[in-house]
Formats: sequence, C-alpha cells, structure tokens
Amino acid sequence: MEARSPSRWGAQEWAAVAIFAAALAVPWATDDLLVHSIVNRVLIGAMAALSVFIMLRMDLLSFATPAFMALGGYAAVLLAMNGVTEVLLIVPASFLVPALVALPLGALVLRLRGVYFVLVTFVLTEILQLVLFMTPRLTGGADGLAGFPAPTLLGTELSDARSVLALAAAMALLAAAVTAALTAHFRQHFAAIEENEVLAESLGLVVWRYKAMGFVVAAGIAGMAGFSLGNMLLTVHPTSFGAQQAVDTIVYAIVGGRGSILGPVAGAALLVTASDFLGNQGQYAPGLFGLLLILVTLVARGGIAGAVAALARRRRAPRVAAAPAAAPGAARGGA
Amino acid sequence: MHEFLTAGIIGISLGAQYALLALGFTLIFGILGVINFAHGGFYALGGYVAYAAVSQAGLPFPLAVLVAVVATAALGALYERFLIERLVDDHLATMMLTLGLYLVISTSLLAVFGPQSPEFSFPVKGTLRAGTLYLPLENLVVLAVCAAAIGGLWLLIYRTDFGRALRALADDRRVAMTQGMRPGLLFPLAFGLATGLAGLTGALVTPILALSPSAGDPVLVTSFLTVILGGLGSIAGAVVAALIVGFVEAYASVYLGGSTGALILFVTVLVILLARPTGLFGREIRGA
Amino acid sequence: MPGIAKRSLAASAFALGLVLAGGAAAQTACEIKLGALGPMSGPAAQWGLAMLGAAELAAAEANARGGLQVGSQRCSVSVLSYDTRYTAEGAAAGVNNLASQGVRFIIGPVGSPEVTGAKPVATRHRLLMFANSYAKNAIGPQWPLVFHLGPGPSEWAPPIVRLAKEQFGMRSVAIVAPNDQGGTDIASVDAEVYRRHGIAATEEYYQRGTTNFAPIVTRLLASRPDVVDTASSPPGDAGLIIRQLRQAGFTGPIGRLGGPGTEEIIRVAGGIDVVRNFYWYEVAPTEDPRVRAISDEYRRLLNREPPENTNMWLWVVGARMTLRAIERAGTATDTGRVAAALRELPVEDPNLGRGAWTGQSFFGINQELSLPFGMGMILDGRMVGVRRIDVSPQ
Repeated sequence: MEARSPSRWGAQEWAAVAIFAAALAVPWATDDLLVHSIVNRVLIGAMAALSVFIMLRMDLLSFATPAFMALGGYAAVLLAMNGVTEVLLIVPASFLVPALVALPLGALVLRLRGVYFVLVTFVLTEILQLVLFMTPRLTGGADGLAGFPAPTLLGTELSDARSVLALAAAMALLAAAVTAALTAHFRQHFAAIEENEVLAESLGLVVWRYKAMGFVVAAGIAGMAGFSLGNMLLTVHPTSFGAQQAVDTIVYAIVGGRGSILGPVAGAALLVTASDFLGNQGQYAPGLFGLLLILVTLVARGGIAGAVAALARRRRAPRVAAAPAAAPGAARGGA
Repeated sequence: MHEFLTAGIIGISLGAQYALLALGFTLIFGILGVINFAHGGFYALGGYVAYAAVSQAGLPFPLAVLVAVVATAALGALYERFLIERLVDDHLATMMLTLGLYLVISTSLLAVFGPQSPEFSFPVKGTLRAGTLYLPLENLVVLAVCAAAIGGLWLLIYRTDFGRALRALADDRRVAMTQGMRPGLLFPLAFGLATGLAGLTGALVTPILALSPSAGDPVLVTSFLTVILGGLGSIAGAVVAALIVGFVEAYASVYLGGSTGALILFVTVLVILLARPTGLFGREIRGA
Repeated sequence: MPGIAKRSLAASAFALGLVLAGGAAAQTACEIKLGALGPMSGPAAQWGLAMLGAAELAAAEANARGGLQVGSQRCSVSVLSYDTRYTAEGAAAGVNNLASQGVRFIIGPVGSPEVTGAKPVATRHRLLMFANSYAKNAIGPQWPLVFHLGPGPSEWAPPIVRLAKEQFGMRSVAIVAPNDQGGTDIASVDAEVYRRHGIAATEEYYQRGTTNFAPIVTRLLASRPDVVDTASSPPGDAGLIIRQLRQAGFTGPIGRLGGPGTEEIIRVAGGIDVVRNFYWYEVAPTEDPRVRAISDEYRRLLNREPPENTNMWLWVVGARMTLRAIERAGTATDTGRVAAALRELPVEDPNLGRGAWTGQSFFGINQELSLPFGMGMILDGRMVGVRRIDVSPQ
C-alpha cells in the first residue's frame, strides 16, 4: 500500500499537524498567562525536537540543534534590528540561514557516521558558543541581542502575549508540516539508510542526497525554533543555545519516541510541563530527565508515542501481529 | 622565555591528567564500542567519594583515593553488567544509557553535597622553584601517579592474558567469542577499569582544582577532544593526544588568551575529525 | 494559610466598617502578591533564596502592621517565588508564571542572563521589577518599570579603588573574569574605574568552565601587575586563581571588585594565609549592628533562620520601598503610578540608613537604588573587617 504512494501521510502525520493547528486556537481559548507560557515553551521545545527527530530518522544523533537554533534566531533578530520586521520575510529567513549554512557543512560532516557524527555535532555547538562570545559587534557577544522591534504581519504589530503565542503556534505548525512531508516522502529512503547505509548505497540509493536533504531541513526547523524562542524571550542570548539545550531536545525526542512524528511533540509537552511543575526544585529536572532516558531506553524503545501506539494496536487488533511497526527502528540496534 | 618554559611545565601537568581521563574513555570505546557520556560523572563522583572519605570517615588521603577508585570502578562495572550489556550493540541506546547516568550522577551529587565547593585540599603542599620557574609539589605527585597508572595500564593491556582477551574482543568480537572469551565477564571488568581511572583522576585532581557537582562537564568535553585527536579506541593515541591538548591549551591560553585558545583547540579537532576521522594516530578499530 | 485567612477576615471586617461609616464603595479584602524571581536551586541558589528572604521579610513586616493601606483598602501581602535556574528562558517563564498568578511586583532576578530574559516579558505584562544584576543595560530609559537594586559597579568601584590605592599604592592591575556577560560587564567597568584613578589596567577573560587556571595565571603575570583583581569570577574560580597565583610566586594584593563569596574564596584558596592581602566589595556594611539586626527581625517574624547570603540585607530595602510606593500611589494594580511614586520616595531605611537614587549618568535613567555598601579587607593574613561606605546622590 505504502509502496504505491510513498509520500502519503499516515495517521500520525495528520495527528501531529492537527495538534499544532489546534494550538493556534489556544491564545483565543484562554487568557491564562501560565497556560500561554507553558504552551509557548512546549511549541518551541517540540520544534527543536522535530529537528532532532529528522536526524534520528537517518540514524544520526545530533547535538548541533542549538547551534542551528542560534543561527536562525540571530539572523531573524538582526533582520528586525535592521528594519525588516515582516513575519513573512523573517520566518523564512530564520529557516533559510541555518539551512544554507547546513548545506556546505553537511557535505563535510555527513560523511561521518555513528559516534563520529555525534562528536562532531557536539563540537559544533561548543564552537558556536565561542564564536558568539568573540563577535560582540554583530551578535552582542556575551550580552546577546535585546530590545529589537516586534515582528509585524502585513503592517500589524505582533507584540501582545496573544499574537506572540499565535506566531509560535503557526511556526510550529509549519515545522510539523515540513517534517511530515519530508519524512513521509522519504520514508523508505530514510528507513533504508537507518537499516543499513552501506547496503542502501550499494543498491543504488544516492544516500548523501537524502541525508543532505534531511540535514538541511532539520537545520532550518531548528532555526525557526530559535527565532520562536527569541520572540518569546524578546532576546537572543548565548545561554539559550548551549550543550544543555542540546541534551534537553534529545531527551524530548527520545523520551517522546523517535519512531513517530508524535514522539517529539509528546516528549516536549510532557517534559516542559513536568519541569515547570518542579517549581523551586528545578535543580532536580536533569536527574528526572536522566532517569526517564534510562527507563525509555531499557523498557520502551518507542518512547511514549511508541508505547501508546503499541497499546492501541493491541486493543484494536489483538490477532494481527504483522502490522507495520509504528516505531520502525526502535526495536532494533543500529551499530 | 620564562613564559615559554612555564607554559611547557603547565602543559605537561595538564596533559598527564587528560591522558588518564582519555585512556578510560578510549578503552570503553575500543573494547565495547560505547561512547561513555557518563565519564565526567565518574570523575566528579571520584572526587566526592574521596572528599567524603576524608571529611566524614577521617581516612588518610591515599586511602580515600583508593576508596574512590574502588567505588567508581564497582559502579561502572555493575552499570555495564546489568544495563549497558543488554543493548551493547546499539550505539544510540548505549549513548542514551550513559547520558542518562551522567544526568543522574550529577543531580545526585548536587542533592547530597549541595552546590558549593566543599573544602577539600591536597595533603602535599609546597612548590619547587628554580628562578622564576615553579612546579607545585601536588602537580608532581599527580604527574607521578598518572605516569604509573598509564604504565600499569599498558602492561595490563599488552602483557597479560586479560589484556590479550580484551584486545581480541575489541578486534573481532565474534572470533574472540568462538575462542572462548567471555564478554559477559570481560566487558564489565573493562568498563569498571575505565570508570575507575576516571574516579582516580577525580580523586587526585579535584583537591588541586575545585570540586563541584558539575565538575564533570568540562571533563567530558576534554575527553571528547582528546580521543578524537588520538583516534577513538587507540591507547597510544590517547596519551599522545592528551599531551598535545595539554600543550595547545597551555600555550594558547598563555599567548592568545582564554577564548581564543579554546576556539583554536575546537577548530583543530573539527578539522582533524573531518579530514581524518580515525585521528592522528588511530587505526580503524571499529566501524562505529 | 489559616493566618492569611484570618488576616483576610480582619481586612474584610475593616472594609465593612468603612462602608458602614459611610465611606467609599464596598470593597472585599485585597491581597498584594510580591514575586520573588531568582535561582532557587543549583550553584547560584544562594542569590535567589536571598531574594525570596528579602520579599518574605518585607511582606511579614507589612502584615505585622496590619497590612498595607492602599487607597481605601487594607491589603495583606503575600510572596510567590519561581526558580529561574539562572537562565534567560527560566526567568522569562518565571515572569509569565508569576503574572498568571496575579503578581504585579517582582523582586529579582539576579544574574545578567536572567535580567535580560525577564525584562522584556515583564514589560510586556507591565510588571514593576526590581532587578539586581551588574549588566551594563540592566536598566534604561526604554524600561521605565524596571528598577535596579544597586548600586552597580559604576557606583561602588570608585570609592573602593580610591581606598585600595591609599592602602596598597598600586600602579597597575590585571583583571580576570569569565568571558560571559556576568564577567565582561563588570570587569570592563572596573578597568575603566582603575584607569580613571591613574592605575594601568589590563583585562583577561577566561572560558567559563575552565578548571585549571595555571596558563591564565602565567598570562596575567606576564605584564607584572601590582594587583590582580578577580572581579565577578565565581567564588570557586576566584579561590583557585588566588591559589595558583601564589604558587606562581605572585605576592601582591588581590582585589575583588565583583561580588561576595569571600568565605568560599578563602576555603578554596587554601586559607587566609594564602590569600594574605585582599580587598573586596561587600554588598552591605555587614558589620554594622543595625544592618545585622535585619536577620534578627527575620528570625522574629518568620520563626526560622534567614538565608545565608548577605544580599538579603540589601534587597530587603527594595522590597520595603516597593510596598511603601504602593501605599503612596494608592493602587496595587497600576504599576505606572507605583513606579512614579517609587521614583519620588526618599531613600531612607531604618536598617541600612540613607541612600540615593542614582543611575542617570551610567544607565541614562535615575532608577538605581543606591544604598550604603562595604569594603572588606584582609591585611597580612588578618581579617581587618568591612568598613561602611555611604553613597551620594547624583
């Protein structure tokens, strides 16, 4: 069935897009600032986690998400500071700048596989921090950039709490749609790469092309997340784009479930809310994340989304064992 | 000239510590194919165990170091035996297991010991001086222990049956297993050996530098840089690379200043990683 | 909780009495919520807990007097807190969180990244904020509702440098600090102040997370400075820098125009003999018995030990003044009017004494609450103590 229309969206893709479409209504459904704040951070976390998710589809674990977030965030803010506040321009810019950087970078780093790729992305995030510190004229250095004009949509200023959240939801919706389109369209290619890259290549799949595509889109989505974060905080600051954030986004994607596009969404929703509820015991959040990471790796490889899907499957069709795995790759090793 | 020599001495001291850390890191990768994100956690844990042994149990410092080594080695071996072992061939899973462990260790240290640096100082004080050159005695002790540990490790790996078995497992696990090597026993031992080395470094170095729950963060980064440079899995490479990292850090910091020095190191490593992923001295040990 | 309920009841009865007496329209009990925003956990927790302690003490004092008189209402004061985890996002989330619970006045946050993150969001919700960071842009004309619990380095550095020069007669100084906002924003102001006093100053920034300062120390000493100043380096780092400076043979005095943490510094450095000659900025005149009385007041009203960090002594004044401004403005919701009243309030505190509104020349807005501070000194390995330095209005 899927072989005939490889780019067809499955139920999960539609569900993910529907969730973000529904998030668009939140600013009008409630005025509760706490809800606004949590939903806004969930949206940003989910976008960043989607970027990690795309890379994981190709069996690549990336610690470079914050670096691309920074590129997108700083690019958009610098545009706004130079008079370009139109959302229809700066949102695409926040996608394109990191994507354009990712293109040549991808040519270099995508030759690396497995742990080597992990290490290089880790180093990239560290390098970005240093570059930010050392370019105070352009990026504000250690102070970051603050006090930029609010974005506008066709001349209307989007500065109140409601439109900030609506913009975040719209960007997350866009990110989810792009992710869904990409992962659905290249489902088999990515699966082949994830399964066995060498084999895929020998069978004639031009692996680097699909990997480059994935890497560039993942970078762009991270960039939009970076702008969304900057728009929420009204500042872009080096502390928002460090190794800690890389770990957080990876935890969102893995705990949520890397087998389904719903995974990063579920992971971000659960963990952002959970760390908010920790309140004044915030120092224990990393420990909680760590425990969940160990737990999910050991007992629920598909993460939350995988577990829910498995549960639903079992309830729906207890006899059909050969249903296509909802969490491909989650059940299998990759080294 | 004076700065040049001073920086050289500092570089050797730094390099020796980094070598001890990188050896454990590279050992785990070479033998198990696992990237140990918790390596820095074992360093910090080693420091705190030694601190607790001195301040709570009143043990003399050398004994406290020994306790720290045993504790970190035991934790590492048990974690490998009961958790990592089950998924040892899935590199993503093992990274998540060790990353999770790191988060749990550093949060636990924060919960038990609090955020502030405790009072934990090296028992050997004093500084050797020759003109304007100086070498703190504590660094000399650490240097000696590092050299002894590196030598011991080399003997262990290249001169004993245990070492031969480990190397055989690292080369080709399937062949090694048909010859009767038992990964179920050897893997936890190798992992424990490596985490014990991290614990030893932590116990020795944190009283000279500073002890805090997040003391492991920079350790992980340095270990990464060193093993990339030396070649993942290469023991000789790790030692040479550690000295290079130590010298680059010392000379770049002295002559170029903090941020520039760090940036040079990172970019160098990035270039090496891209141009020669097996490192300067590495051989392709594993397909990763 | 029962206490608050009882007070609410009392306040309701009071309001009812007003109505019966032919007063204004009937009002139900009102409650003013102060927000305490700062790192409540992790390495910087001391700062946030001091913030919280200051807000709690000011609230307890107001409630002990029977609440605040706001217009025709009698209002009780309560405190809500939020843990920023010392990050910009955490602070922004905290402002949202507190605002959603009805907080209009925030004491905090502390660190530069936090203030950078909190300020725009607070402005978006029109909250009045009493920030405390040494960032160069901590306050400014574009943030009319943001006040600064000062003084900042531009205020306290000059008198300390003058006194240090009298004591040690230095002609050159090397300043060392981390290469992020918390480091550069203070160290660069310090350097400027040293230079204005005829002392040659060099700045040296290290990568945050540096564990071994031996190379940095070599670099610092290359210019043969008379004094090394650790500015706002975290206490653990500063202690280690001092230890390694002494190992490298540096015998000159050490300055710290940055922040508190002297005890931890001495601990990490390896004892007061190692530190030997040391002068530092202390946030409050810590040896003044009237200032220390704030801690007794805390124990009396709140029945527990006050937070360890001496910043509480300073910050409590900001919380007290905010509450007084609310009374003066006669509103607990219109933050613009409260801010206007706050600007007009003379700075006079029963414990800290007389202070001044400053900031015009450095920040471009006179919203820095400058209070007396202290200069601590260790001479030849002996703790000399903390002397009080008063501030002058601009």
